[in-house]
Amino acid sequence: MTIRFAHTKQHFLPTSLRAFIIASGFWALSLSLTVLSGSVAAVLGCVVACALIDSSLHRSPLRYLQTYSLLAAFFAIALLGVLIAAALVDSSMLANMLSPMTAFNSSEFVAWLSLSFAITSSLRVLAHRTSYGAVIEIVFVAAAFIVTLAAHRNGMIHRPFFIGDFALIRGIDPASILMAFGCGAVLALAALLMMENNQKRLPYHFVVLGLLCFSLVGYIRLFGLPTPNLTNDLGLTGQEQANGSRQQENPFRDGENTAEDKEAPVAVVVFRDDYEPLNGSYYFRESAYSQFNGVMLDYTSRNDMDRDLIEQFTSTEVEAAVLPEAEDQLVPVRTSIGMLVPHRNPFGLVSPVGYENVANPNNLRFKRTYDAYSLAPEYDFEYLLGRELGREEWSTEVWEEYLTLPDDPRYQELAESLIANLRPEYADDPFAKAWAIKSYLDENGIYSLKNEHAYEVDPAASFLFGDLTGYCMHFAFAATYMYRSLGIPARVGIGYSVPASNRAGGSALLVQAVHGHAWPEIYFKDIGWVIVDPAPQQTLVDMTTDPQNELQQLLGDMLRDDASFEDFMSAQQSSAFSFQGLLNALYAIVLGAIILGYAIKGYRLLAPAIGSPEQQHKLSYRAALDRLSAVGITRHYAESREDFADRLTASVPSLSSMTNAHLAAALSTPQANPPQTDWWSKQRASINDEIAANTKAWKRTLAFLNPFSWLFSR
Amino acid sequence: MTSENPALSAVMDSTSESTASAENQSQLQQATDTLNTLANTVQQQVLGRDDVIELVIIALVADGHVLLEDFPGSGKTTLAKALGEAIQHGDNDQNVDNSIVPFRRIQFTPDLLPSDVTGVPVFDSNSNAFHFRHGPLFAHVVLADEINRTSPKVQSAMLEAMGEKQVTVDNVTYPLDDLFFVIATQNPLDLVGTYPLPTPQLDRFLFKITMEHIDREAELSVLETYKQRRETETLTQVSRSDVLFARRVIDEQVNISPRIMETLVDISRNLRSDDRVLQGNSTRSMVLLLPALQVAAALKGRDFVSATDIELLLPRVLGHRIELAPGVANAEKILIENMQEPMENLARSTLA
Repeated sequence: MTIRFAHTKQHFLPTSLRAFIIASGFWALSLSLTVLSGSVAAVLGCVVACALIDSSLHRSPLRYLQTYSLLAAFFAIALLGVLIAAALVDSSMLANMLSPMTAFNSSEFVAWLSLSFAITSSLRVLAHRTSYGAVIEIVFVAAAFIVTLAAHRNGMIHRPFFIGDFALIRGIDPASILMAFGCGAVLALAALLMMENNQKRLPYHFVVLGLLCFSLVGYIRLFGLPTPNLTNDLGLTGQEQANGSRQQENPFRDGENTAEDKEAPVAVVVFRDDYEPLNGSYYFRESAYSQFNGVMLDYTSRNDMDRDLIEQFTSTEVEAAVLPEAEDQLVPVRTSIGMLVPHRNPFGLVSPVGYENVANPNNLRFKRTYDAYSLAPEYDFEYLLGRELGREEWSTEVWEEYLTLPDDPRYQELAESLIANLRPEYADDPFAKAWAIKSYLDENGIYSLKNEHAYEVDPAASFLFGDLTGYCMHFAFAATYMYRSLGIPARVGIGYSVPASNRAGGSALLVQAVHGHAWPEIYFKDIGWVIVDPAPQQTLVDMTTDPQNELQQLLGDMLRDDASFEDFMSAQQSSAFSFQGLLNALYAIVLGAIILGYAIKGYRLLAPAIGSPEQQHKLSYRAALDRLSAVGITRHYAESREDFADRLTASVPSLSSMTNAHLAAALSTPQANPPQTDWWSKQRASINDEIAANTKAWKRTLAFLNPFSWLFSR
Repeated sequence: MTSENPALSAVMDSTSESTASAENQSQLQQATDTLNTLANTVQQQVLGRDDVIELVIIALVADGHVLLEDFPGSGKTTLAKALGEAIQHGDNDQNVDNSIVPFRRIQFTPDLLPSDVTGVPVFDSNSNAFHFRHGPLFAHVVLADEINRTSPKVQSAMLEAMGEKQVTVDNVTYPLDDLFFVIATQNPLDLVGTYPLPTPQLDRFLFKITMEHIDREAELSVLETYKQRRETETLTQVSRSDVLFARRVIDEQVNISPRIMETLVDISRNLRSDDRVLQGNSTRSMVLLLPALQVAAALKGRDFVSATDIELLLPRVLGHRIELAPGVANAEKILIENMQEPMENLARSTLA
């Protein structure tokens, strides 16, 4: 039995238009996944498939084939193409014969050709034969556009690069281009719908398109614009809590540290004063774990501890309660910080002494912007030798809190064994002791993101006395406990540590999720909290990231202020095509055209008054026609002037006599007594009266304002 | 013949004056009045056919002939007769040959011979010589009914009469009246046993007018006034010389702007280059059209030809002159399409 399907025959224009739209979807999709040859093949395959299906589906033999067999055939084609592509690169034959690049290119070509052909054919067949098929087509095109723009998520506002670079070079906000992309996609989808010949399907499809669009609107309403959603990478970037309360969290149980979004930008720091750290990293302290709660260190609950930290954002300047004291060894540094991700506390360059909220230059980008005043260390570690510990104001309880550690003798045993080898002159020096402990962890610790100690009672002990494999949190806790076991007041500082080289000479520094860090700190008398941070020499993971210089500069300039951002944009523009210039030229042209329009309009209306009597039949008649065309009364194409006048006898009776006089002057021999100038002006006046009597006031106002009304008079 | 007409010589004299434009106007007014009188007279006899009457009068004054395409009983004989009888021999027409009568009707049949329409020399035994007996063509208005039913031989005799205003019998040429005017008819449907008019013969006709059925009101008034029209005796008449005078005045005084001629030529060229037209109109058709345009303008009281005259006359003039490609039927649509651009240019040119 043969099955006949009712196929609508597709004409050339809809077919090619649809092919173009789906092909552009394929182009957008393939751009980030393959090389140029692959993209070309994708477009090609799509166009061929559209043409083939639209032209042959209603003919034999395709029309007799079941939909499922067709789909299976297309799947087979796709599979075959992918296999051939794989064979091309797997075997060394082609690579040897030509070149490896050719082999790769041809493989991509074959793979994308077959894939796009198979997908497009399937989509088209479904669209032809099923009621829901066109919807799948639309969803596919929408998805292709969305996937392309997915690289933009997580705050990488300069991506995808082919858009971001294009936009930045020309001084456009990449977001505008993305919006344009979105508009283009919606228009393409609407066009796809419009091309649907079946009127009954049209509303159905528009509902789908509406759902697609409005679901986006609904999403934004419910959840806001997407912000970088971090995996809370190292347990450090706690999200700002709505109620401001600090949830008791185990900093070690922070889920899988997959570092998937490790490049996501978290904040940007603009240095107002130049500062270069001695140990190669900028430390930004957000908070600290300093009070032992019986299980592990936690945020302090005492008011007399950690008074150099502030707990929340305030709208005014806040002085850190305790200032570092060695002012001659510290350099004041002002930084502007723009947070791309909400934080619980403000953070600042170690050691921050004050915060000040500043106006947010870009509400879309920055969740919070503030200036941080810091006293940054300029001493080297030798300066710390021979220093005393603690602070005079500290009470006994505070001292005890800074020295409490888990009830585990192994910490002290290990620490004692490590400092046993110190030279006698440093045997009692706190910094030397701490350095010995740090050195041990540097040499023996193994950096890994695997969180195997998370569910131990004391993860730090499990780490330190176990495999010595862990991440910054383990190192920081282990080191702090050991410092404390030797009587050194210590705590775990948390925040960000960014390699100094990331600044790349600029004044902006991008803080990314991967830079989240925890470190041990020691309080030296007269100096303050000093970071003595173990840096394991062995590492199992590569935590390096590509420097995001473009993004860093872009965000930095955005934060600095609008003026310099404009400067950056214009600096980028100077080499490229000037859009502003083009725009200005366009404005000038439009303005010039309007002025010219009014000038011509005015001239044509006033010309009869100054024209010679011989020219009256032209000038006056033209002025009358201008009046009429301004209110929308014009002669039809190829309509004779008499017919036009006859058509208007009811509303503008004076036109008839004017037309006759005009034609007599234009087409006849010179008249014996032609109408005089005052006759013409009387006629024009009566035409004006008739127009006023027969048209609405708003129409006449519009006619008066329209600079180009004379263009329509014929 | 006309040069002996005193009225016309008066016209010649007055136009030669340099300050004659006012007088010209009154002459043109007089011509227009003549035409209007003629039209009114015919309209009293033929109701509901004002447009056809207008065209017929235009053709009469423009020295052309008319082919009416219609059905029997539509009033064409009445029209032709009324027209013929509305023109009388006036005081200035004494010198016109007595053999010329106002109106003759010829019913064309297949067995008609040329001599039946032209006349024939007959032998007069008294004078022992041949005398020419005038045929029905020697009239002001000749109604050639069902002209396509007669043989090509008769049609060619008609051709000469219409084209040259003369008949030649036995190699002797007899001139016809200056006002000689043929209204020919043919039935567009009943084509059995007909000899379709050849293209050159069709080209002799200035207009081909397809008559529509008259509207309800007119048809009603035809029935209502039937008796009173039959009894009417006193019709306003115009004299033959008045018509000839009008013809002359209109020809001299109604201006045809070069723009009008450009438009006509452009339309012709457009038609010839149209793929749907097998053969476009001849140059002669345009030449014949010019006087018709002048008369149409004069009927409207204008002393210049304008676009409306073209719109009125061009479809009648070209309808039977252009030959369409096989399968193309709608001549009017093609004509209108080809007229659009030149007509628009004409309309615009008056302001340029």
